[in-house]
Amino acid sequence: MENCMDVMHLIGVYTKTIMKSWFQYKVDAVLRSLAVFLRESTGIIVVYFTLLKFDTLNGWNVYEMLFLFSLLFVTYGILILFFTGLRDFGHTVRSGGFDRFILRPRGLLFQIIFVNADWFAAIGHGGLGITLFLVSAAKVGIVWSFDKVVYYLLAIFGGVLIQGAVFLFLATLNIYLLETGSLKELFYWNARKFAGYPVSIFHRAIQIGMIYIVPFAFVNYFPAQFLLRKEDMAAYPELFLYLTPVLGIVLYLLAYLFWRYSLKFYKSSGN
Amino acid sequence: MTFIEVNNASKKFRINQRASGIPGMIANLFAPKYEYRQAVKDISFSIEEGEMTGFIGPNGAGKSTTIKMLSGILCPDSGEIKVGGFSPYKDRKKYVGNIGVVFGQKSQLQWDLPVLDSFELLKAIYRIPEKMYRDNLERFTEMLDMSGFLQQPVRQLSLGQRMRADIVAALLHSPKIVFFDEPTIGVDVAGKETIRQFIRELNEKDNITMIFTTHDMQDIEKVCDRLIIIDEGTKVYDGELMGIRERFGTTRQLDVEFVQECSVEPIEKVEILELDQRKKRFIFENRDVKIDELMNELLAKYSIRDINISEPEIERLIRRIYQGEVS
Amino acid sequence: MKRMLAPYLAFAKKSFLNKSAYRFDHFMGILNTLLKIFIFWCIYRTLYGARTEVDGITMAMVTTNFVLSIGLDALFSVNDYYLPDRIGNGSIATELLLPVSFQGRMLFENLGNTLFKLFFHFLPAVVVSALTVGILPPAGAGSFMMFVVSALFGYGVLWSVSYLLQMFSFWLINMWSLITIKNVFINVLSGSMIPLWFMPDWMAPVLKVLPFSSIYFTPVQIYLGQLTSQEILGKCLIQLGWIAVLYLCGNFLWEKGKKKLVVQGG
Repeated sequence: MENCMDVMHLIGVYTKTIMKSWFQYKVDAVLRSLAVFLRESTGIIVVYFTLLKFDTLNGWNVYEMLFLFSLLFVTYGILILFFTGLRDFGHTVRSGGFDRFILRPRGLLFQIIFVNADWFAAIGHGGLGITLFLVSAAKVGIVWSFDKVVYYLLAIFGGVLIQGAVFLFLATLNIYLLETGSLKELFYWNARKFAGYPVSIFHRAIQIGMIYIVPFAFVNYFPAQFLLRKEDMAAYPELFLYLTPVLGIVLYLLAYLFWRYSLKFYKSSGN
Repeated sequence: MTFIEVNNASKKFRINQRASGIPGMIANLFAPKYEYRQAVKDISFSIEEGEMTGFIGPNGAGKSTTIKMLSGILCPDSGEIKVGGFSPYKDRKKYVGNIGVVFGQKSQLQWDLPVLDSFELLKAIYRIPEKMYRDNLERFTEMLDMSGFLQQPVRQLSLGQRMRADIVAALLHSPKIVFFDEPTIGVDVAGKETIRQFIRELNEKDNITMIFTTHDMQDIEKVCDRLIIIDEGTKVYDGELMGIRERFGTTRQLDVEFVQECSVEPIEKVEILELDQRKKRFIFENRDVKIDELMNELLAKYSIRDINISEPEIERLIRRIYQGEVS
Repeated sequence: MKRMLAPYLAFAKKSFLNKSAYRFDHFMGILNTLLKIFIFWCIYRTLYGARTEVDGITMAMVTTNFVLSIGLDALFSVNDYYLPDRIGNGSIATELLLPVSFQGRMLFENLGNTLFKLFFHFLPAVVVSALTVGILPPAGAGSFMMFVVSALFGYGVLWSVSYLLQMFSFWLINMWSLITIKNVFINVLSGSMIPLWFMPDWMAPVLKVLPFSSIYFTPVQIYLGQLTSQEILGKCLIQLGWIAVLYLCGNFLWEKGKKKLVVQGG
């Protein structure tokens, strides 16, 4: 119990420190968050304009598409509050920051997770996600019963963990390879480019990649399908609708084991 | 009482040999080729509680690797390291609460925030009791004359101020051992002096065991009792600082600026270097040549504008030691 | 003339060669371009479904629009941080002392990059796209020639937009936000993410008063033979007009900024 209080206290102090650093540059912070918000809106605006012309994309109308996008942005907004340290882990290793973590009497992953949080990205992505949710949720015909709300929360949780697992896995590779920026680009950001759209519109090979390799389809497509039940769901097993939270936990655990196993190979940055 | 015990510690690094080009990159991904570099080779030493030991050696000699093994960042491939009863790598979480580390090249302070905020954060990380924190903060702030800039953001501090703050940051939790990795690098002369005095005083009053790496011979002379010299991963000297002077004598150098261009006749046991047309450097051993005699001789023979006596830099001394002039 | 240009050609050559040093990044860049084209192709294939044309635009024309405009987008990548970086680290002061025009250097280093990308990024990407998603041939030899000319002007417009924006770094610290927002405008309004044929009608005035549609969409329209020679002439003049206006505004700020730099010493 005392231990738990101590950990919560430390998290509080970390967060206070991050916020304080952030507020050193108020105008800058607002501008950055706004820029991230607008940058991420680009894809949304494009979809919105396109569907003004074409009405639906494989049966998905504008609001359903916005709902699909909202899951992607809400999960990323939460993800980046906790996993900024994993996103930037390569830099932390190269700059010697990880050596400093080792020298402190706290868990390593704990420090990576709570020492930093990219609030610009969190507000930009999260704000966009919430906006999209508010705009679309009432118009896609979901009856928000208790079990649907629970499902939605679990899906967000699972979606965050799935992406967190990808981050943790890529971060662990930094222990072996000094530079992994290109791999991250290849496996995370490129996969994410596809993720905004219904996975059913893509070539079979891409679908396999999005379902079995970097399972972004479980972050937004299948949870949205559970709530919306579009026709293109017929191509996939019903089971996929329920997998997101389980998959999130399993993948994260696997990534965590890989991390634990890899730590002993850490060789500190060169001198 | 032996506090730090290192027995035959070795550490090898694997360096990935990358072939160039895309095929090379792909080949590297599946069948990487490695080369091994022995950073530390069978090093052994022991240090008593409260001792103040200087580690010196040329760049890449293995100093940093040794410090990183002692502080738990790296795990030795073979051999054993015990510090205060802990095995640094294996007992990391319990062990690191007892040590403080100052990296002169890498600050642990929050760049955008006042110094005090970083200290408050450390207080939470190390679970420092309120009273201990207050006492330490007050005492160190006074000793290092820091009250003027505790409220200033770190990014506005001079290098010397930042280094002082970093030293305090490493000491707030009252560690039993402190590692200083080049704590005076880039600091001006007055700043260096303040830091040295502080470290000395702390070592004497609190009986903290300290390990110190530096490139500055003055640091070693003014701060350390004992010297360990490392080169190419092995220990080449281990003993008292005074011992080294007695055994090797001291090389001195005399820089002389003549009024006009002139040639100097060779002098026995003195090496003469031409710095420029009117400046020459005389290098000799204290035990072979008396400095006053040499100066008198020069002053009698030539018209001289300026004379400057200096100690040779650390690199030269170390080179002499591991070139086998000493053993 | 040749002697005057010599230093600038040297800058162009330098950046051409620099570029070739980062091969892995380079291949990732091509992959990125191909993925973008592929994603939009997938989306429009689904949108078109069984339809052969929408508003007189066929799927093949849409595909050609994406291949060319996303290809040109990759080809033209202007370094928006050329001046901001130099002001940030203070090296602008010494660079101003060099006996070459700063703007000239900025342009030619970028041209060197662009030339490299033409052969090693744009053309491979277009060839791979042609073999996979397909691309229409140009409407005729004349159309193709005018496409090249107009694409060159398009590059000029894009470069001038960036040039004007970069000048604000004399006064503003946070250029990242501003540049990011500029890129949002380019992405949405230039036709590289949504073919401008399909823009809602109420956006037409917005497109008209902003320079972005003349960067990629004008060349694409010429390539597809959608414009009469009179229209081609008109659109190219608009492109040149934009280049002139943006560049002159940029130069006005440049002179002011330089003065500020001299007075305040950076």
